[in-house]
Amino acid sequence: MLAVRNVRKLYGADARAYLALDGIELQVAAGEFVCLVGPSGCGKSTLLNILAGFEAPSGGAVDFEGSPVRGAGKDRVMFFQDAGAALLPWLTVEENIRFALRVRKVPKVQWPATIDKYLAMVDLAEHRHKFPAELSGGMRQRLQIARALAVEPKVLLMDEPFGALDALTRRRMHGFLLDIWQRTGKTIVFVTHDIAEAVTLADRICVMSLGPGSRITHVLPVELSRPRDLSEPRAAALYKRVEALLA
Amino acid sequence: MRATALFAGSLVIALALWQFLSTVVFNPFLIPPPLVVLQTAAPMAKSGEIFRHVAISLARVGVGFVTGSAAAIVLGVLLGRLKVLNELLDPIIELLRFLSPTAMIPIAVIWFGIGETSKYFLIFWGTFFIVLINTVAGVMRAPIIRQRAALCLGASPVQIFLLVVIPSAAPYIVTGMRIAMASSFMSIIPAEILAADSGIGFLLQQSSVLLQTNRIFVALLTICVLGFIFDRLFRIAVDRMLSRYMSYIALT
Repeated sequence: MLAVRNVRKLYGADARAYLALDGIELQVAAGEFVCLVGPSGCGKSTLLNILAGFEAPSGGAVDFEGSPVRGAGKDRVMFFQDAGAALLPWLTVEENIRFALRVRKVPKVQWPATIDKYLAMVDLAEHRHKFPAELSGGMRQRLQIARALAVEPKVLLMDEPFGALDALTRRRMHGFLLDIWQRTGKTIVFVTHDIAEAVTLADRICVMSLGPGSRITHVLPVELSRPRDLSEPRAAALYKRVEALLA
Repeated sequence: MRATALFAGSLVIALALWQFLSTVVFNPFLIPPPLVVLQTAAPMAKSGEIFRHVAISLARVGVGFVTGSAAAIVLGVLLGRLKVLNELLDPIIELLRFLSPTAMIPIAVIWFGIGETSKYFLIFWGTFFIVLINTVAGVMRAPIIRQRAALCLGASPVQIFLLVVIPSAAPYIVTGMRIAMASSFMSIIPAEILAADSGIGFLLQQSSVLLQTNRIFVALLTICVLGFIFDRLFRIAVDRMLSRYMSYIALT
């Protein structure tokens, strides 16, 4: 579904140029949950921005469903860690979703039903008239999920979405995201530097090396049934393996 | 309740200090005491003299402030969005903004005479640069994440501009306008002192020539009260109409 071929990304020009990514190869199948893990500053977010079409690669190509990615596309919705910045803070919960439906040109008659459906899905129905500032961090992320799902994209690109949440809320969000993923069959590319998060969520874990010229060094399939228990020996072994690769 | 009491307390202290300075430290001619100022103000209010001056000054501030803000917002939004235009005009703006309205009085009188136009121009001038710089900053600082999020939801560039960038810039624009309004109330006075035959500044000038310190104090007090009232009105209007755009600053 998503094919990344020999992508490189160069920032700046001449002697001070920085090669962020070099020779990135990645195939993502429809309905797959892929996690990109790597140390801070390895270019995970850059790669995600290229997949989203926010930034163009300096070399190589990204194909989405067989045609090259040129700019942001409606089928690939990005999901940001900073929900406070990504949401429209002057709109209520409900209005944020309505905004998405409006710009997506969804017929007006469908709005109420769609809004109800996705607010119920993320458990925010009773908070629909609140503003994002009145929500907790986890609730804001759930609103961002609802808003992204409401426009029915094929791919969710998630940039450390739960990085700023406390451990308990994060675990709840994992269950939540997996549940939605299994119900809707979306393709998910998920960036994180938290190995436990990757082991909990992914079908495949792509390990990236530290830049400059960062690349995907290992691709590890995760053949564990969900929900996963990280203290289970095979999960723990996988955790150790990824940790060793990153060290 | 407590705030009201403190506010009243503050006024009482000010009046007491004023009375003290007037009668003990200096003398009632240099600093007319509160009661004398009140006695001077009463007939000026009754005859409508003071209100005539107030009305004409307000009209000048109003016209200059509204046109200046409108022009600055339009240009500011363009500059914040079009990089080339900004790089082209920014140096000129950075130079011109140091010309205060007061500095522009002599040339304004030559260009526009001492009629209303010169005052409109001077207030326009003072307002324009303050609002412009704030608007540009607001538009430029509209979070890129918010714009990208809207982009991948399917928003067109026009929608991103109108529904994301402009509302994101609103707090900056409003803050700029509030500062500009305060500055307008300050710059109208020198403009009227030097080049007018009406308005509060003119009242000041006329009273000074005639050594009427009591009338000067009435005019000074009027300026304080006017500025205060209009700043409050502006804040109330913003709270009523734009609160949803203003209240989120803490979040971002």
